[in-house]
Amino acid sequence: MLAVFEKSERIRHIGHLDIQRSVQRGLRRSGLPVAYSQGFNPHILITFASALSTGACGKREIMDVTMAEDTDAETFMQRMNRAMPPEMQLTEARPVDDRHPSLMGSLRAAVYDLTIREKDQAEKLISAIPAMMEKEKILTLRKTKTKLAECDIKPLIYALRGRDCHVYATLALTERESCKPQMLLEALKAEAGISEEVRMLVTREALLGENGAGELIPLEKL
Amino acid sequence: MDYREKFEMALEKVQKAPRYTGGEMNTSVKEWDEAPLHFGFCFPDTYEVGMSHLGLKILYGLINRESWSLCERFFMPWTDMIAIMKEEDIPLLSIESRRPLKDFDVIGFTLQYEMSYSNILAMMDMGGVPLENTERGEKDPIVVAGGPCAFNPEPLALFIDAFMIGDGEDVMTELNRVILQRKKEGWCREKCLRELAKLEGVYVPSLYDVTYEEDGCVQSVVPNCAEAQATVKKRVVTDLNNTYYPEEIPVPYTEVVFDRIMLEIMRGCTRGCRFCQAGMLYRPVRERSLETLLHLADRLQEATGYEEISLSSLSSGDYSCLPELIRELMKRMKDKRVSISLPSLRIDSVLKESLEETQQVRKTSLTFAPEAGTQRMRDVINKGVTEEDLLEKVRDAFRGGWNSVKLYFMDGLPTETEEDLNGIADLARKVVGEYFAVPKDQRARGLRVTVSVSIFVPKPFTPFQWEPQDTLEVIREKTEHLKHVLNIKGVTFNWHEPYVSFMEACFARGDRRIGQVLRKAYEKGCILDGWNETFRFDLWMEAFRDCGLDPAFYANRRRERTEVLPWDHIDSGISREFLLREYDRSLKGETTRDCRKGCNGCGLQKWKGVCGYANAGSV
Ligand code: SF4
Repeated sequence: MLAVFEKSERIRHIGHLDIQRSVQRGLRRSGLPVAYSQGFNPHILITFASALSTGACGKREIMDVTMAEDTDAETFMQRMNRAMPPEMQLTEARPVDDRHPSLMGSLRAAVYDLTIREKDQAEKLISAIPAMMEKEKILTLRKTKTKLAECDIKPLIYALRGRDCHVYATLALTERESCKPQMLLEALKAEAGISEEVRMLVTREALLGENGAGELIPLEKL
Repeated sequence: MDYREKFEMALEKVQKAPRYTGGEMNTSVKEWDEAPLHFGFCFPDTYEVGMSHLGLKILYGLINRESWSLCERFFMPWTDMIAIMKEEDIPLLSIESRRPLKDFDVIGFTLQYEMSYSNILAMMDMGGVPLENTERGEKDPIVVAGGPCAFNPEPLALFIDAFMIGDGEDVMTELNRVILQRKKEGWCREKCLRELAKLEGVYVPSLYDVTYEEDGCVQSVVPNCAEAQATVKKRVVTDLNNTYYPEEIPVPYTEVVFDRIMLEIMRGCTRGCRFCQAGMLYRPVRERSLETLLHLADRLQEATGYEEISLSSLSSGDYSCLPELIRELMKRMKDKRVSISLPSLRIDSVLKESLEETQQVRKTSLTFAPEAGTQRMRDVINKGVTEEDLLEKVRDAFRGGWNSVKLYFMDGLPTETEEDLNGIADLARKVVGEYFAVPKDQRARGLRVTVSVSIFVPKPFTPFQWEPQDTLEVIREKTEHLKHVLNIKGVTFNWHEPYVSFMEACFARGDRRIGQVLRKAYEKGCILDGWNETFRFDLWMEAFRDCGLDPAFYANRRRERTEVLPWDHIDSGISREFLLREYDRSLKGETTRDCRKGCNGCGLQKWKGVCGYANAGSV
């Protein structure tokens, strides 16, 4: 069963492992016929399309639950929404069969809404967008486990625009390469000449995959 | 910017934001206006500790169940959050609706350990509630407290308006009803407190005057108004099957200390260990029936999705139908992949086999608490464990594939000698010996024996309530000695710093005056004293000096048997005669039988129909 769920603003500081555990417990509460792994510490067979980082909310996060018996989407939604806290409700579910391509493998990009808390900062950042996108390379620092490395995020930005206090961005997100919202913000700050801290709320609006025609569409529609 | 916005900003900066953000399963309770009475449940320690506590879950459910009352939670923030709250002027907010503590009609603290007392002051202070009862006005909340430490309420008498003594389930609702009536009828604070004082099990300290002898001992504690009872009798719920137990409990997102279903199978303990305050306070033993427990287990599992159920009580091995309970639970929970954690001490062999078949017991560490190193010392404290018992169980465990054993002891017990300390090492050595006696190919590799020695703290309502605690110097010497003798291959020795235990001893048996020390210490910056990184012994000592009080008077003095004890006006049901009798027997090394083998006349037998084991005249 493929399901779309929300991680609300209130619980944005909950890390991915805890979200996973909460979904597992929600499934256990729901009484739905889910499949368990074998072995010592049985857990529900479930995969998440992408880990959402601590501090970010998610509008359409995606998981794939292996069911032990056929279950229709409506029952799944109803039972799960009763079993999940208001902060993590499901908005969609769709039965998929085992041959469905892996979520993680199909993931290409994510749509973000970066809400900038200070109005004048937002204005400056947004007006820096065109100039930044003109550039041949957009260099910013990427944090790896051990070091900071400079990298070019230009090819990783698929769409970028701003309005009011929001910066809307579609950024590459695959198993191999991705651009984190924070990296984009750093690049924008550099362009706008802002050195002080910019407070923002990150909302991941959607996860995108690629269809046969090479278009990016919502992952759950693949 | 209002405080809620500032709070949101603070969340971005602190180490563990999830401990402040709420929204957990089974916690979205009521809208503020849905119920007229607002109760702020305060756990005076961090979220992770508080959310592991059964009492919180019981009362949270109990108060929210009534249509007319609403309960929200408050916890002690960590230092990083406190710093921001101070700087930004953010009040202490409830987890649920993020309202300041002062907006609640009644706020209730649970008193689980003395070293949380400074957190109580900190929480009130941050929540905008004046610290002392005399400083509070008509608009301020009524401040109540309950839990085991409420049996000696005096150290907190300056700060708490009303204490609930004993089991909370019934008296909590009665107390809330009175406060609701106050709200409806517009009673002044004083009238409300007097009404509360009429309830059985409720102690309102401001309605009692304390006088002192010249030597500093308490002379008397007497009511100063008609409503206050001369002695306040603890509350006892007699039938746990008809007592509220939550069927839905909050499920935290993040891992807390005990992240599982806790099923309270019984309350109280019949063994009568003489150092154990809980064993005295929670008398008599009351069991929940198999039927009730199975029902609760099902309901709780459905409501939480937890993967583990642990059986909770002071001595779960004594529950009368333990094997049936465990078998039935395992049967029901198998398909749900729920494991049952067991009191490891008393698994009969049949059970052990079925355990191994059905759920492959995780071979983690086994825990034993012989408490003392020699038989003589164990007789003194009435701990009915023999060396042979222990070694047999350890042997079984090593044969069964365990390789890790934890042994818990105390030092500083009454009459303790060097021989008793050496006994701890002897026992540890024998445990190691049992491991090596199992043939190499039949035992798990990598033996680990951990010996933890804590420092004895004499507690009220125990036979040792008259005993001194060892001085810091003696404790230090004993620890050095233990380090020396416990230098055994395969054995790790964990010891405790004596300072916290010393403070605990002061407050456990403190009087009303020691409340001033608490306030001073808090003002000097003492908070989160239960945590090594924040405990400031030097500041505590300064506070004692500033108040002209000597901590040794409370901790290290042998009290006269005739002395008025600061908690004498609290009636725990356990008589002074019984405690003195037990004290004498202990000094002679005589043991006292388990109540299940016959009543020992602790005093509770006089409360009709309260103790199921009390047969008349069987002393
Ligand atoms: S009344 Fe008798 S049986 Fe009951 S707890 Fe006291 S000593 Fe034990």
